[in-house]
Amino acid sequence: MALRNLHGRVAFVFDEDDFDVDQIVGVKNIKIQDLDELAALAMTSYDPDFAARVRPGDLIVGGHNFGYGHPHYPPMKALRHLGIAGVIAESFSPGYWRGEISMGFPQVGCPGIRSFVDRWDEIEVDWRAVRIRNITQGTETGFEPLAHADVAMLEAGGLLGYLKREAEENAS
Amino acid sequence: MGLTITEKILARAAGLESVRAGDEIMAKPDFVLAYDFPGYTDVYFQQMKEEFGIDKVAEPERYGIFIDHMVPVATPKEEELHKGTRQWCADNGVALYERKGIGHQVAAEVGYATPGAFVVHFDGHISQLGTFGTLAIGMRRNVLEAFVREKVSIKVPETVRVNLHGTLRPGVMARDVFHHIVRVLGPSSCRFQVLELGGDGLDGLTTEGIQSITCLAMFTGALTAIVNPEGERLDYALERAKKQLEPVRSDPDANYSAVHEIELGDLEPIIVVPPTPANTRNLSEFVGLDVQSGYLGSCASGRLEDIEVAAKILKGRQVRQGFMLHVIPTSHEIMAEAGRRGYISTLAEAGAYVSTSSCDFCYGRIATMTEGQRAVSTGTLNVKGRMGSPDSEIYLCNAATVAASAIEGRIADPRKYM
Repeated sequence: MALRNLHGRVAFVFDEDDFDVDQIVGVKNIKIQDLDELAALAMTSYDPDFAARVRPGDLIVGGHNFGYGHPHYPPMKALRHLGIAGVIAESFSPGYWRGEISMGFPQVGCPGIRSFVDRWDEIEVDWRAVRIRNITQGTETGFEPLAHADVAMLEAGGLLGYLKREAEENAS
Repeated sequence: MGLTITEKILARAAGLESVRAGDEIMAKPDFVLAYDFPGYTDVYFQQMKEEFGIDKVAEPERYGIFIDHMVPVATPKEEELHKGTRQWCADNGVALYERKGIGHQVAAEVGYATPGAFVVHFDGHISQLGTFGTLAIGMRRNVLEAFVREKVSIKVPETVRVNLHGTLRPGVMARDVFHHIVRVLGPSSCRFQVLELGGDGLDGLTTEGIQSITCLAMFTGALTAIVNPEGERLDYALERAKKQLEPVRSDPDANYSAVHEIELGDLEPIIVVPPTPANTRNLSEFVGLDVQSGYLGSCASGRLEDIEVAAKILKGRQVRQGFMLHVIPTSHEIMAEAGRRGYISTLAEAGAYVSTSSCDFCYGRIATMTEGQRAVSTGTLNVKGRMGSPDSEIYLCNAATVAASAIEGRIADPRKYM
């Protein structure tokens, strides 16, 4: 099974480096469990109409060391609930990276991504070609290939699926 | 080209002749550690049974569980969690360390910091076992791998070497060394790599001080931190080691992605300003700022040298009226020794609130701040809401600064009290 290419618009570009993802929903909301409630709050401090403007398959673009600090899971759960299909950043903080890959949420390390896209550009991440295409601007660039274990985890929809698939293969 | 200590440990754990940075391998952790916390251990225990049909872990001696959060409990629901953890450990024959102190410190005290061992946990502060030449990595939820199968998938990390030279001046502590490293190298300098400490400056730092530094490695982006096991640190670890392993060390010609030199004698006390652990500044810029609360404790600090410096500063002095100073020794072993040395009575007489070890002060479960309040803290983190209201603030600093600030009710330079 191969990973499905990501194809969508750039729903937001975070300019800041070392971005603490808890800011996406706001620290005071981090304990909210209800996904509809959490999703309605997501990104409102950056764009009050974010939830209304975003479409399924859209992507988020981030800076260097994206996910630094003490990342919690709810902010990205909220973004996925809104249809965000992945994050492309200049680089990632390891704790955040592991956490989101284990949730089956595609993450793409791409030095230079912030100058390669503008907000709302239509882009495609081609896993096989290891290229990101900016369809709006007619340009393309490479990205850092995923480790085999990360690919396997994304293909299986996350850590649990990955480990279960392996356990079943070993049993058969 | 020689090998790093990390490459040597992972090669053995993977059962391979040798591995190099960049290799993707499957490695068997010598020890799998966790503390019980809702959404983590309770979920693993349930998933093992329901999703994988595992009734008992295969090699219980490889596992160690700690109860250090929610100690003591405040609700029946919290006690339910602990009860479930005790039951799981009893059913599986797995060692449980409850009310012994903060797990990452207790792990070293009871021998999981075996030199040469590979250890996994979900929490990244386990990196502090690197003080003893143990490769200890926080995997977040991926630690489930280690509960349902023998090996974990890992890409052998590159290593950034930081050589420390000289000695610290009075009033400057190991805590300042770590934050200085973040300031000089940057918060993403060691991303996905290992931070390896070396140099003659290590000789002037205590084992406890090196534990403070290695504990916080994640804020450089590092997966963990490690030091070649030598001297007092090696003796400490070998006496307690849970497993017979040959200690390994980085070769002199090991391959590092970067090497940095730090002169300890140049350092000043620092302060890390909210809301991120990357905001390192000189303490002198913030002296005089009103603070209402002080926390001396955590898995990073709260060891004997931290308590000792606070006791010396507060001896014959008083915590300012209205200031809340909490002193929480990192473990029971440390607290007992602090008692024997008279530090606890000195701190109590000065008006400090001294409590038995618990993680709960570090993340605002107790001693919770309200809107507009500000703390000086030796805790691990200063992000918004970490110790209570998202509109409260945390200034990270060394233990001496916490003690001096408690006297004045304002951020204070400890050197005038030393």
